[in-house]
Amino acid sequence: MSFLGSLRQKASFWDKIAENFAPSQTRDEKFRNEYKLPLEESIIDDTNADLSFISAYSKSKELKKKEGQAMAYVYSGKLFLTPHYLVFRDAFDNSSCIMILNVSTIKRVERAPFSSYALSLVVTLYSGTQVLIQFIGVRYRSEQFCEQLKKCLKGNIDHAKALPTFLDSCYSEFLLRKNLLQMKDIKAPGGGLGQKFKYPGQNTVAKEKAKLRLWFNYFRENGANLAIVKNYTFEKLIRVGVPSRIRGEIWELCSGSVYLRQQSPHEFQEILAKNEGKTSQAVEEIEKDLKRSLPEYSAYQTEEGIQRLRRVLTAYSWKNPDVGYCQAMNIVAAGLLIFMTEEQAFWCLSKLCDCYVPGYYSKTMYGTLLDQKVFEAFVQEKMPVLWEHIEKYDIQLSVVSLPWFLSLFFTSMPLEYAVRIMDIFFMNGSKTLFQVALAILRINGEDLLEAEDDGMFIAILKNYFLTLDKSSHPESADPKFRQITKFQELLVTAFKEFNIITESMVTQHRSKYQNGILQNIETFVKKTQLRHMPKTFHLEEFELSNIYDLFYQSIATHKIGMGTGSSNMDFPVFVGFLAKFCDWCKPSDSDRNPTYVEQKNEFLKRLFKKWDSSKTGELTLNDVVYGLDKLVTNDLLESINYFFSLYDGDDDGQLQREEVLQISEGLLFLTDPWKTGKFVDALTKKSIEESIAEQFVKEHGGEVKMSDVQLPSGVTIDEEKFKAEQSERYLQAASNFLQRSFEYAQPVELEKDINLIDLSNDDQEGATEKREFNSLKANAALDPTHPKVINLATFRMIILADESYELLFSQTLRDSIHTSESVNSSDTKNKALRNMFDGIIADGRRVAESVRRRVDSVATKGSIASTESNSNQTTHSNAVSAVSGNAQEKTEDLDDFTTEQPGEHEELLSNSWIEMGDTGDDSLKQSRPLRSIQPNPVESEDNQPDLIEFET
Amino acid sequence: MNSSVTSIKLVLLGEAAVGKSSIVLRFVSNDFSENKEPTIGAAFLTQRVNIGEQTVKFEIWDTAGQERFASLAPMYYRNAQAALVVYDITKPQSFIKARHWVKELHEQASKGIVIALVGNKLDMIENGGERKVAKEEAEKLAEEEGLLFFETSAKSGENVNEVFLGIGEKIPIKKPGEQANEQSGLRITDDQRVDLTNSVNGPVRSAGCNC
Repeated sequence: MSFLGSLRQKASFWDKIAENFAPSQTRDEKFRNEYKLPLEESIIDDTNADLSFISAYSKSKELKKKEGQAMAYVYSGKLFLTPHYLVFRDAFDNSSCIMILNVSTIKRVERAPFSSYALSLVVTLYSGTQVLIQFIGVRYRSEQFCEQLKKCLKGNIDHAKALPTFLDSCYSEFLLRKNLLQMKDIKAPGGGLGQKFKYPGQNTVAKEKAKLRLWFNYFRENGANLAIVKNYTFEKLIRVGVPSRIRGEIWELCSGSVYLRQQSPHEFQEILAKNEGKTSQAVEEIEKDLKRSLPEYSAYQTEEGIQRLRRVLTAYSWKNPDVGYCQAMNIVAAGLLIFMTEEQAFWCLSKLCDCYVPGYYSKTMYGTLLDQKVFEAFVQEKMPVLWEHIEKYDIQLSVVSLPWFLSLFFTSMPLEYAVRIMDIFFMNGSKTLFQVALAILRINGEDLLEAEDDGMFIAILKNYFLTLDKSSHPESADPKFRQITKFQELLVTAFKEFNIITESMVTQHRSKYQNGILQNIETFVKKTQLRHMPKTFHLEEFELSNIYDLFYQSIATHKIGMGTGSSNMDFPVFVGFLAKFCDWCKPSDSDRNPTYVEQKNEFLKRLFKKWDSSKTGELTLNDVVYGLDKLVTNDLLESINYFFSLYDGDDDGQLQREEVLQISEGLLFLTDPWKTGKFVDALTKKSIEESIAEQFVKEHGGEVKMSDVQLPSGVTIDEEKFKAEQSERYLQAASNFLQRSFEYAQPVELEKDINLIDLSNDDQEGATEKREFNSLKANAALDPTHPKVINLATFRMIILADESYELLFSQTLRDSIHTSESVNSSDTKNKALRNMFDGIIADGRRVAESVRRRVDSVATKGSIASTESNSNQTTHSNAVSAVSGNAQEKTEDLDDFTTEQPGEHEELLSNSWIEMGDTGDDSLKQSRPLRSIQPNPVESEDNQPDLIEFET
Repeated sequence: MNSSVTSIKLVLLGEAAVGKSSIVLRFVSNDFSENKEPTIGAAFLTQRVNIGEQTVKFEIWDTAGQERFASLAPMYYRNAQAALVVYDITKPQSFIKARHWVKELHEQASKGIVIALVGNKLDMIENGGERKVAKEEAEKLAEEEGLLFFETSAKSGENVNEVFLGIGEKIPIKKPGEQANEQSGLRITDDQRVDLTNSVNGPVRSAGCNC
């Protein structure tokens, strides 16, 4: 037992270690998160320092003036400098003093006269408030810090100039000015809809005023908005509930969205102006929901309220198109707008979506799913009995909890309570949501254990939310106890009992489940996308799945699980995508050849353009699937037609001179891997097999038993020879193509011209013209001035006239596009020629088959002639051996035939090819195109009887 | 009266703002509200009705319509015996989405799920709005895919109960012994049931969840 126990201990120990290795943030990220600073703020310098904050309005300062003595708290801690902020943190107690000072608020920085050895600065702010900084540490480091601060101040002049306008928008500033500077008729800055439509809840005026006074006092002593010291009191004031009038400002201060607003004062209006009148999916979805956002709040039944909501939501959808718009954002934004101006709400919503609840509203809602998982884990940990009950009755906890998180309790609780939760949420972060959610379950735990289906479970909680204002202990004898409302009880449970749920715990849990969740989403998205794929004719389902993987792997910026980044493909990505699985697009030595690169570019551009159905310069997955489906057709003619159509830009079924040249370049590019011997095509493969077989037969002197032939090994072949042969064959094909193209090109327009001339002139002259025309026609290939065209039929004929090109469209091209290999196997190796040869040798069965054919043919020939074998004969003697061999061999032979079914036609080809190879260079050049198109029947018949004669 | 209760797990799917929640609200509470907040995630409601001799308890899972909530849907249509795929007859896009849902259900949901295709917002046409999805087109889809088909108005209540009645009739009634939710079935009293066969357009009282 103890052994098991220790094992278990060890296991949990390893779990702990694993948890600690969760993806860690950089120092700057941590720093920004802690002080809610914008993305640009990274630490330039930091130093130890003593700091005093002496507010210009402070009561103690008034005293000081009278008594002529400085009196202020001195905090010891660390001072950080970022491009726009001075941040100070008490070294001993974080919550006793955190100062966040935007450098725009600094009016003057002086060296303090009273310090002889250590460096001291007096920083005077716009309001007259002074910050005394006494540096601790080496003098030159302190000097360095000051230098950096000076730079920051210089770089910030523009923002500093805009400061007064910005301050006018802050309610705190208004309170201070009105009460301290005797500006009695100063007007309150614009605020949320609550200013006009009343704030939710029934706080009495007196209570609101009392709370406001507390905040006024706080601002007076500790500064406000862009230059504030946060201490215990700050937190306490928030916990008791922020007065509605300054709630907006406190939210933006706590969330740090105020810093974003200050940094980009015009962005909100600019986004709206730039996108005015534009529409998008998000905009349409927003329109559907505008009237469905907190409809119980009166402002949202008016055009004014709806309009504000529309502007905030659409502006955000333009700012962050990855998120766009997600249902529930309308409710959150509507909540913000009660207390905030549009601009404030816009920035607050941004901060919320990006930092507080990342991924909640993304296109795949992975953040929401993740936090539901995390929440369930917490329930399981903290309330095992309830969790067991939920499992037992198969209750979908997420039906109740998902809206809590997604709409931040706005749809679940009455508004006045939801905003109180928001007060704390903005101060403490997303752990607040977990704390409150857990507290709700804890408080209702006993009732929930009675619920045996989802309906009852939901009803209990619904009822609870509707009675939050009622006493939590209505039967208590103690009147004080009776006064405690259910909401107060909820807050206490959430923030006392579930205090144990810390932000880092949430982060750890998130990273624990993140991969699983993303994986699930990716699977789901893939399934859905494949389900809605266009119908394909040549690609199988598993190939579509591979293409899907390759497609999204190529678009590095697109994260499927998170639903961010464009899911479309531009040209460079397209090239990289094809390179993953198309032999002719893989990087090769030819890439160093500028002509080749140009050919490649030209061909791929045409392909891209052809596939780009929406003509936006981007391909969707459907475009790619549709295009590939055409490219990999098994039908020879279809394949040729498709290739032709790539070059027939105007779709008139004819290629002009230029296009003919380009199509030949395209062919050159496409066949490059075979031309350079990187791969072998079916013809070469066949001849290699033949050659191995021949060698084998020679070595064994014709007395081979079939059992020996099964796996020939140790055979060496002359790679270079086959490479050269193949290369020669493709070069020849290319030159033949061009030659034939111009030979068979039809000078359509030229003919017309001649005819016209014919009509207008008398006979004699016409005759000479005709003669001239004939000679013209003959030399047309050399004459660039006369337009000539090739139509599809001609093109097909020319392609079919060449065995390599015919094979290209019937097989080689299809085989070079490896859509059937899954992503993981395709990158394992770039199949080099060597591997190909290895493959052939290893595929003993086929070679053995060849050998057998030879052996058989030798055996039959044995009595007649020499053992010298002719590849032509062996191929054809194949059929013969089946007749003469024993029964077993016969069946094997038949098997082989079926596996080589498509090769029937190919075998014929290989015959003519070998023949050509045998005839040497001269005859190659003479070979007429038509002969191959319609192989001379006499010739093949000649061969056939020969064989029969051999047999007899 | 027969005291056995058959539970039918039913899920509503369809594009955002086609009226899924409104159909449920009409069926469960015989009520309508013009600007209902969008469903966040999903909602769950129940309603009991009498179909002939049988009491049927509908356990209704009403889902969020926005595209990005689609990944949550399997959670709710898991084990569902019936589904309403709802579209808005004035929004062609919502009909395309309905096709997708039908396809997904056929592939992913439990075998033998009874699906009803429901074209909602019939009242808009009666009030001079333009119909954008032809009845014939929807009928064709229903026939091809073996769906029940209804056109309804959650606003006026037209045809809403018939949808549920149609589903209730198509689902094989289980013997009481096989009843999974036997206990909850015993809890109901006669006055909570509504006989759909007799009062098609009559108010349907909510059995609510506090039963």
